[in-house]
Amino acid sequence: MSNHTAEMITVTDATERIAHWVLAASCLFCLFSGLGLMFQSWSFIPALLGGYYATMWMHIFSGIAFAASLIYGFFMWVKDCTFEPDDAKWIMNGGGYLWPTNNLPPVYKYNAGQKAFFWCVVFFGVLIVATGLIMWNADFFAHVVARWAFALHALSAMVIGSFFVVHLYLGTIGNPGTVSAMFTGKCSRAWCETHCPRWLEERDGKNAG
Amino acid sequence: MKNNSKIEYVKLIDTTLCTACRGCQVACKQWNENPASITKQHGTYQNPQDLEWNTWTLIRFQEYTDKDGNFKWLFRKDGCMHCTDAACVKACPSGALHHADFGVVAQNRDLCIGCKACTSACPFDIPRYNKATEKTYKCDLCYDRLKNDQPPACVKSCITGALTMGEKETMIRKAHDRLEKLGGNAVLYGDKFVGSTHVMYILSEPPAVYDKLPVKPSVPMSVILWKNLFKPFTLIGMGAVAGAAALHYLIKGPHEAHEKKEGGE
Repeated sequence: MSNHTAEMITVTDATERIAHWVLAASCLFCLFSGLGLMFQSWSFIPALLGGYYATMWMHIFSGIAFAASLIYGFFMWVKDCTFEPDDAKWIMNGGGYLWPTNNLPPVYKYNAGQKAFFWCVVFFGVLIVATGLIMWNADFFAHVVARWAFALHALSAMVIGSFFVVHLYLGTIGNPGTVSAMFTGKCSRAWCETHCPRWLEERDGKNAG
Repeated sequence: MKNNSKIEYVKLIDTTLCTACRGCQVACKQWNENPASITKQHGTYQNPQDLEWNTWTLIRFQEYTDKDGNFKWLFRKDGCMHCTDAACVKACPSGALHHADFGVVAQNRDLCIGCKACTSACPFDIPRYNKATEKTYKCDLCYDRLKNDQPPACVKSCITGALTMGEKETMIRKAHDRLEKLGGNAVLYGDKFVGSTHVMYILSEPPAVYDKLPVKPSVPMSVILWKNLFKPFTLIGMGAVAGAAALHYLIKGPHEAHEKKEGGE
């Protein structure tokens, strides 16, 4: 086991990474342009993007890309992101991030926090796309429906935006060695043993067999 | 009329004096250069049937029988109420709809992007969207005329004195004098909600009687939640999480990957 530590293990395939980045880029562009449309004092954003009218349409098209990659991502990740009984235990132990613990259940591919982020993006993603479609075609809906669409669109942005920062931190400097999963697709064996031990065991078993 | 930004005007619509001649409707179209629409006869003098992108004011004709069985014909000049707390201004992303001098809710249509936030936010259902121009339209109380010491076109055209315009306090006093004379069910509509409107009605019947007239208009709860809660908390939420992440990094440090120890623990 001399090369044990240096061994890099493929944790994501190219399709997964591309889906992730289309989803991420469209989501972040929506967030950026959306902030420009929400905060009049941030008119530098529409100014940068070519005016309010252009910003609104780019926001809409980016939203369509977000919706498409969300649907694709849902079917790709839903199996590994379905909650299981051990996830409650993981949450009760703060995932090992908040206080010292020796009771963390071994994780398969994604831990309960990652699963929570997945379901948050799915739920509020569907809500933000649905309300966005209503806002886009507000003249075909009753005023009260359109009105609440605008409000719930902002609520979804608030939730996804805040959870995104958690995702950004834990995917980068919070967990050294993680970010390569979304670039080269490879993480170290030690990383896999820490973050997805059951998945690693299954993989090693398959390779050995 | 003095050109002073601190002065608030009120257009008082005394429905008890209105004969529904619709001179104001025509004057509005003419001054604002709004084209006519081809309309259909629906068995009413109300024409067109509703406000349109090119019809900023409209006399609503309503047949009404009161409790005692007396028939009355109610005329109400519908149009923008120029709210002090204007939901449309709150909802508008680009600043096209804005508060101007005299209490006017004006529109810089060059800035309008046709997002339709105002059409659903308005508690009076006033702004109208035009698909062809991708912009919304509504009355601006003839802001250009007001700035030149002229009354709005509708007021100028009114032959019965149903439409008058003046400084807010003066007009409210005038309205109350009129109510005293009218007695009965007559009420002033507009001074008790949305921070008071700059268009007010003297109604001969309780407000609930009138078609399409909200009894207690307010900035909708959804608009308040959207703009006063979700909007700021999008930034506050992201900032708070970023702050918490930074603290976590400084206090707990990054979560380093650890290799399983051979035969250990």
